[in-house]
Amino acid sequence: MTDLLFWLFAALLVISALGVVLCRSLYRAVYCLASALIVTALFYLLLTTPLLAAVQILLYTGGVLTLVVFVIVMTAQTDDNRRWRKPVWAALLAIAVFIVLASHVGDLGVSPATGGLESGKDTGIELFRTYIVPFELLSVLLLAAIFGALVIARKEEGS
Amino acid sequence: MMLQKLLLLSFLVFSIGLFGVLSRRHIVALLLSLELMFNSINLAIISVAWAHGWLAGVVVVLFGIAITVAEVAVGLSLFLLAERIRKTTQTDDLSMLKG
Amino acid sequence: MPLVAIILGGPFLAMAILGLLPPLRRTGRPAGYFSIACIGASLVASVLLFLRFHENPEPWTREFLWAPFSQWPSIHFGVLIDGLSASMLAVVALIALVVQVYSLGYMTDESPGSLGRYFAFHSLFAFAMLGLVASHNTLQTYAFWELVGLGSYLLIGFWYKKPEAARAAMKAFWTTRGGDVGFAIGVILLWAASGSFLFQDLFHQAETGALHGTLLTLGVIGLFLGAAGKSAQFPFHIWLPDAMEGPTPVSALIHAATMVAAGVYLMVRIAPLLEHTPQVAFWIMTIGAFTAILAASMALVARDVKRILAFSTVSQLGYMMTAVGAGGAIAGYFHLTTHAFFKALLFLAAGSMIHAVHSNDIFDMGRLWKKMPVTGVYFLVGGLALSGIWPLAGFFSKDEILIDVWAHGHPVAFWTLLITAGMTAFYMFRAFFVAFFGRRDGSAHAHESPAVMTVPMGVLALLAVVVGFLGLGGLIHDAMHHSVSVTHATSGLEHPAWIPVAGTVAALFGILLAFLGYHRRAFAPENIHRAFGPISTLLERRYFIDDFFEFLYRVFYLGLSTLIGWIDRYIVDGLVNWLTWITYVIAGWFRRTQTGKAQDALYAIAIGLLILVFLALRF
Repeated sequence: MTDLLFWLFAALLVISALGVVLCRSLYRAVYCLASALIVTALFYLLLTTPLLAAVQILLYTGGVLTLVVFVIVMTAQTDDNRRWRKPVWAALLAIAVFIVLASHVGDLGVSPATGGLESGKDTGIELFRTYIVPFELLSVLLLAAIFGALVIARKEEGS
Repeated sequence: MMLQKLLLLSFLVFSIGLFGVLSRRHIVALLLSLELMFNSINLAIISVAWAHGWLAGVVVVLFGIAITVAEVAVGLSLFLLAERIRKTTQTDDLSMLKG
Repeated sequence: MPLVAIILGGPFLAMAILGLLPPLRRTGRPAGYFSIACIGASLVASVLLFLRFHENPEPWTREFLWAPFSQWPSIHFGVLIDGLSASMLAVVALIALVVQVYSLGYMTDESPGSLGRYFAFHSLFAFAMLGLVASHNTLQTYAFWELVGLGSYLLIGFWYKKPEAARAAMKAFWTTRGGDVGFAIGVILLWAASGSFLFQDLFHQAETGALHGTLLTLGVIGLFLGAAGKSAQFPFHIWLPDAMEGPTPVSALIHAATMVAAGVYLMVRIAPLLEHTPQVAFWIMTIGAFTAILAASMALVARDVKRILAFSTVSQLGYMMTAVGAGGAIAGYFHLTTHAFFKALLFLAAGSMIHAVHSNDIFDMGRLWKKMPVTGVYFLVGGLALSGIWPLAGFFSKDEILIDVWAHGHPVAFWTLLITAGMTAFYMFRAFFVAFFGRRDGSAHAHESPAVMTVPMGVLALLAVVVGFLGLGGLIHDAMHHSVSVTHATSGLEHPAWIPVAGTVAALFGILLAFLGYHRRAFAPENIHRAFGPISTLLERRYFIDDFFEFLYRVFYLGLSTLIGWIDRYIVDGLVNWLTWITYVIAGWFRRTQTGKAQDALYAIAIGLLILVFLALRF
């Protein structure tokens, strides 16, 4: 059963990915990205971390993509006229990277396949105990990002 | 077995994203491909964490997502500024550091 | 020993102080007084040394360790005082003093700074020459030899703003330098063969047979090359006539009496070695005789009084070399001393004449006898001495040479020298009659020279007269018999009685010919000159030898320089330029990677990632 789901989700993910990269219209690309993110959330469910699945959909898809959509709406040109930049080189390089990475996957040995990531409570405990410092720093980072984004993108006042 | 398939999958999506980053001309399209790459790496980390039962993996990915959010925000605002000043959305036109 | 220190130290002190203290040097005449005082002290010390040696005629040496070696014998700095060096020191000091005093009167047109420089150079030269004479080993002799050459260069080119003077100085330096290369090689060869630089060691080893064969011969040839260069033997004679561009006192000191005599002095010094290399001695004699007659022939047609004297010097040096080569080292040395006196006298007198008429050409002078009789007398005395007329000094020394050459069985050389004697008398009196009694009256501005110039000349004239007469010559001969360089007594040899007569006859014949031609005008020398057209040209152009050397210089040296210049400009520079160009081109290639576009940088990152992952997972 899980196998079937895996292959289904895998196919959907790959198709969405290709869509992001190949679509001419930005709107379509965004739509494909959204689907890719959601499929990934489904993967997280499959891998017994519902917390992460929820975060993925809420933050990633709901937040980031919404931002992107807003920006696209404000953009003048939303279509790629001349589409690719050295597609052959890019493809070659991408394939090479894939081959190099993939060739070492076999080194990992038999996977235990235990699961056991489902407990959101345990995750929360980890987050606020062991990783409390990065957590706080992250909040500072987000604050900085907010201000940064505001400052960078505001309209010039006659300067 | 599952882990390997998952990893292969995530590497595949990573490569696809890499292709997009290298060859798309619209800045926002480039950013979208970049998101794809981030996402694939998250999947890879969770796969490994799931295989070994390490909760730390989930925490790492949570942090990663948060950081990605921040990065996208700033990146998009930069794009808006660039478009306002340079009146262009093509990556090729942003070559002031040439030479 | 302290006397030696004074002899050498005096001029050294003057040289050092005048050289290092520009304020003192620029005072001019006071600097000259200082230099004269130092050389005067030298003279007094050297005369005392000679007298002391005369009382106790044992050669002695003093040496200081200079370069210690463990494997070979060390190098020492030392002095060798024997009859030869003691007498020569006195002669050199005397003439140096006389000339410096004369210079005070002659060099009146010089600015004080220039005059100071002149006396500094004079002191340098005096120091170098005295050091050369006193050296007890070949290496030290070489060092002072070079220094003397430097002094000569500086003084010939004293009026360095005159292009001819600068060129003449260079010519002198180059030519003698060529000989000096031979000298250096000779020094080294002798050292390699014998293990020592000391003269006494070399003589001893030659005597016992330890030093023999090819190395000895080559070594002596090397030393002779140096001497030939310094003493203007054919074909190195080219520099001496041109060296007349220097001030006349300089010509008197350096190019008549002392520096050019250094070559002969060296040959006399190593006379014991020459006894063991008869082939080299033969060549020395032959070249000497050839030089003598060659130079005399060129003097026959010369118009410049200094040139006449220069050719005469070359010719007389040939006489000395012939004597040394024939085995008559004492005779050669004796002639060196007498020649020093009367040649210096002649040059100083010529200086007076030139000063009076403002021209060097004898045909611009004339009727000088009335206006400057003192100079005239001096010139006459010098001329008679040079021609070898009894009882002046030149008679005795020239006679002795003729005797020695004949007694050692060299008839060709003998007749060459005899003919040359006739020519010598002729050209000297040609000059005398034309300058002092000639038709053209150049005496308009002439006046007798001041005492500061006539007194030194007088000293020399006196010596020229008495050396033969009052037995001063005897002193020198005695001294020579107590010299390390004289192994067999060679004076007082068996000789036919007609030789002195023959010498005198030749000289008188020459004088008579000059008298008839230039004074009485019994015949017109100009017609003869024209009749012998081609030969006259040959003589006037100095047998084109100078032109030959000039040609060699132009073709080889300048040609080589041009070639090397071309290589430097086009090949060496070309290579460097090409390197910069290629760097620029390659850099251009790399610059194209910096497009300023982010995605291109991403390519670089991706490739780097690829490589890193590959390596990391591989190893």
